[in-house]
Amino acid sequence: MTRRIVIGVVVVVSVVAIVLGPQAFDYLRFERNLADAAKASEADGGAWPQRADECTLCHGHQGDSVNQVYADLAGQPAEYLAAQLHAFADGHRASPFMAPLAMTLNDGDVDRLSAHFARQTATNNDTFAPDAALSAQGKHLSGSCAACHGDRFMGRDRNPRLAGQGYDYLLAQMNAYADNTRSDPTGAMNALAAALSDVDRRAVATYLASYPVAENVEGDHESN
Amino acid sequence: MAGASMIGGLGLAARAQSAVTKPRDGAADVLDVAIVGAGLAGLTTARDLNRAGCQSFVVLEARDRVGGRTFNHDLGDGRVSEAGGQWIGPGQTAVVDLARELEVDTFPTYYAGKTVFLAGDARLAVDLHGTFGTDEKIAAKLNALARDVPSGAPWLAPNAAELDALSVGDWLAQQAIAPADRVGWDATVLLSGGATPAQMGLLHFLSMVNSAHSDYAQLDSIKDSAQETRFVGGSQILSIKMAKELDAHLRMTCPVRAITDWDGEVVSLHTDRGVVRARRVVMAIHPALCNRIDFSPNLPNERAMLQRHWPAYTPGRKTAMVYARPFWRDKGLNGHVLQAGGPVLWAYDNSPPDAAIGVINSFIQNGAVPSDPELATRMLTAIYARALGDDALTPQQYHDVDWGTCDTWTLTCVAAIPPRFWTTYGKALHPPCGRLIWSGTETADIWAGYMDGAVRAGHRSALQVLNSLGAHA
Ligand SMILES: Cc1cc2nc3c(=O)[nH]c(=O)nc-3n(C[C@H](O)[C@H](O)[C@H](O)COP(=O)(O)OP(=O)(O)OC[C@H]3O[C@@H](n4cnc5c(N)ncnc54)[C@H](O)[C@@H]3O)c2cc1C
Ligand code: HEC
Ligand code: HEC
Repeated sequence: MTRRIVIGVVVVVSVVAIVLGPQAFDYLRFERNLADAAKASEADGGAWPQRADECTLCHGHQGDSVNQVYADLAGQPAEYLAAQLHAFADGHRASPFMAPLAMTLNDGDVDRLSAHFARQTATNNDTFAPDAALSAQGKHLSGSCAACHGDRFMGRDRNPRLAGQGYDYLLAQMNAYADNTRSDPTGAMNALAAALSDVDRRAVATYLASYPVAENVEGDHESN
Repeated sequence: MAGASMIGGLGLAARAQSAVTKPRDGAADVLDVAIVGAGLAGLTTARDLNRAGCQSFVVLEARDRVGGRTFNHDLGDGRVSEAGGQWIGPGQTAVVDLARELEVDTFPTYYAGKTVFLAGDARLAVDLHGTFGTDEKIAAKLNALARDVPSGAPWLAPNAAELDALSVGDWLAQQAIAPADRVGWDATVLLSGGATPAQMGLLHFLSMVNSAHSDYAQLDSIKDSAQETRFVGGSQILSIKMAKELDAHLRMTCPVRAITDWDGEVVSLHTDRGVVRARRVVMAIHPALCNRIDFSPNLPNERAMLQRHWPAYTPGRKTAMVYARPFWRDKGLNGHVLQAGGPVLWAYDNSPPDAAIGVINSFIQNGAVPSDPELATRMLTAIYARALGDDALTPQQYHDVDWGTCDTWTLTCVAAIPPRFWTTYGKALHPPCGRLIWSGTETADIWAGYMDGAVRAGHRSALQVLNSLGAHA
């Protein structure tokens, strides 16, 4: 049995080798990698092609952005993600990119995409180099945030994860709350952000962007 | 009063006033035409008006440069690499004619040699002879469907509703594509159409194929296709040369924020540099940019809905890595790299015509490459080194433009129209609203979304303006 498989593989390889010459092994490895990637993607997100493929172009591989401008979606509470997608679509949250995109999603799409990205693993934001003084100031200012965003800022329910989020993204959101171009339905964030100075907002964004992502996300959700 | 504020604070004010303000009926500050946007479309309209003898017009441009979605990175010594639109190909005769009139030469895209494919740890170098190795059977099916989808008005196709109900992904899923071929389709639909297959409307995609003579190969390849030819001096040179001819009519750093009385005889455009009044307005910007302007009175509902839903989410991030020489050419490589799963979507040789320096341009996944230029350089050169050799590790320059986030005056590369869009909102794309004439590449009959479409739209809008002014004279 084993011998037959080995012979089979050898036959395939030699046929490919005749056609492709010394590249045969590269070719087989290439095909195998593509097939493995296709299988993994299907297991994680369903049949090809998937809606989530569009999202990861901006939000990073599996929603884990390494670009400080684009938000991580990975490991965000599904409830929070769904609320934002609905807010983009109905105009409560403005974004020239996300508004027309969210309008193409039906409720089922929103739930599937939110669950999909909530399931992905968030990683530390190691493409950000924090300024030490600002970070220290940010730590001092962020004490009160844990009450809603979790002890390790991993988020729960409607409260987003902030730990390891992109710096430019966090700062833009704090500024948007402060000048009311984004409004938190609970009102909490607008008041909190408006009370912080420009430098305070940069400090908080620095501290949170470089805050390590908790490994045990579930545990953190439950402990809050 | 409006006239004074219009030209206040501008260096070229004194010159501009005499050239621009030729009163027709005593209202000294009312122009015949205001053009919003100094991209290829707006400048083509302005040039046509100028050549037709109409002097009473102004071009209002938000940025401090012309060219819109075309932009040349300055690499020194007069060499450039493009951050935005750059290629032209068969059937794109409007932009070719313009280039000849402006004495801009063209040269072929470099593709001789092997293209490198990367997937995980595997590397494969294959000579594709100027194609992307598309499955010809599937291309033939697309061609057959495309023949009945008018490129400039896809919603008029006989079976529009049926085709528009599907995404390209829905359709591809019916074609039993082998798992290993899926990444190829993901890449080609994204690079040509601006969205991944599941987000891209089939009807729209077919309208693009229709622009390419209903021959998919003329859309998605290099040889004999839309990526075949480049402009000497970079694509932005077309706009720069037109702007020189039109100098006195241009108002730079002059974003239009609000437009009032568009339904009356004289329209007011409210800019950061005061109010401009004109009898006709050419909106040479795409509908998602129109959506950021306050219109009073409100635009008709169909037009407002078109603008609100217009897809502005084509992620366009393009980088240029500059090397002392195009070292890959010595090894029989063409510098083209396709990486399954990214972060590089497609890298290609964008060296200048004399090949005195080597340039690798890349379309990359916006969120998968750091925004920090040093980290981005490190990530991209490591990928290029695997594909092209270790010389790739020592670049001389790095340039990076993310069109969505660099400023707010482009937002999106092209318009990746999603399923059900054209049949729901398409009818509102062309009809003028009051004195507003809708222009920009998105309104072109052929090659909408391309530089050629922009030039075509520009010519058409000039005719529309002149006709309508003539009719009311
Ligand atoms: C990354 C990328 C790659 C591309 N590749 C190709 C290619 O290879 N070949 C090809 O043919 N096409 C390509 N395109 C598309 C091509 O660049 C465009 O179709 C074309 O340049 C559009 O010209 P336009 O004049 O219609 O619009 P634009 O170039 O967008 O011009 C609009 C102008 O209006 C200005 N503006 C916006 N809002 C306002 C306002 N409120 N007030 C005043 N001014 C305003 C903008 O600053 C801009 O200058 C590409 C585009 C991108 C981004
Ligand atoms: C063209 C780039 C782009 C694409 C593609 C894209 N997004 Fe976004 N997304 C953005 C930007 C930019 C923002 C930030 C908006 C703002 O300014 O508030 C954002 C914000 C979001 C947010 C809010 C995040 C938070 O922490 O509050 C969610 C949720 C989201 N996107 C989901 C998606 C999904 C799901 C998809 C795919 C269907 C997608 N995005 C595709 C650019 C993109
Ligand atoms: C009373 C509860 C509460 C407190 C305290 C709180 N937040 Fe929030 N925060 C929220 C909620 C709820 C949201 C989501 C609101 C929305 O949907 O727009 C949010 C959103 C945010 C966002 C946007 C994140 C994203 O992904 O878009 C940032 C940034 C943020 N908070 C920072 C902070 C900081 C910093 C503090 C402490 C100074 C803080 N928050 C304290 C409830 C809170």
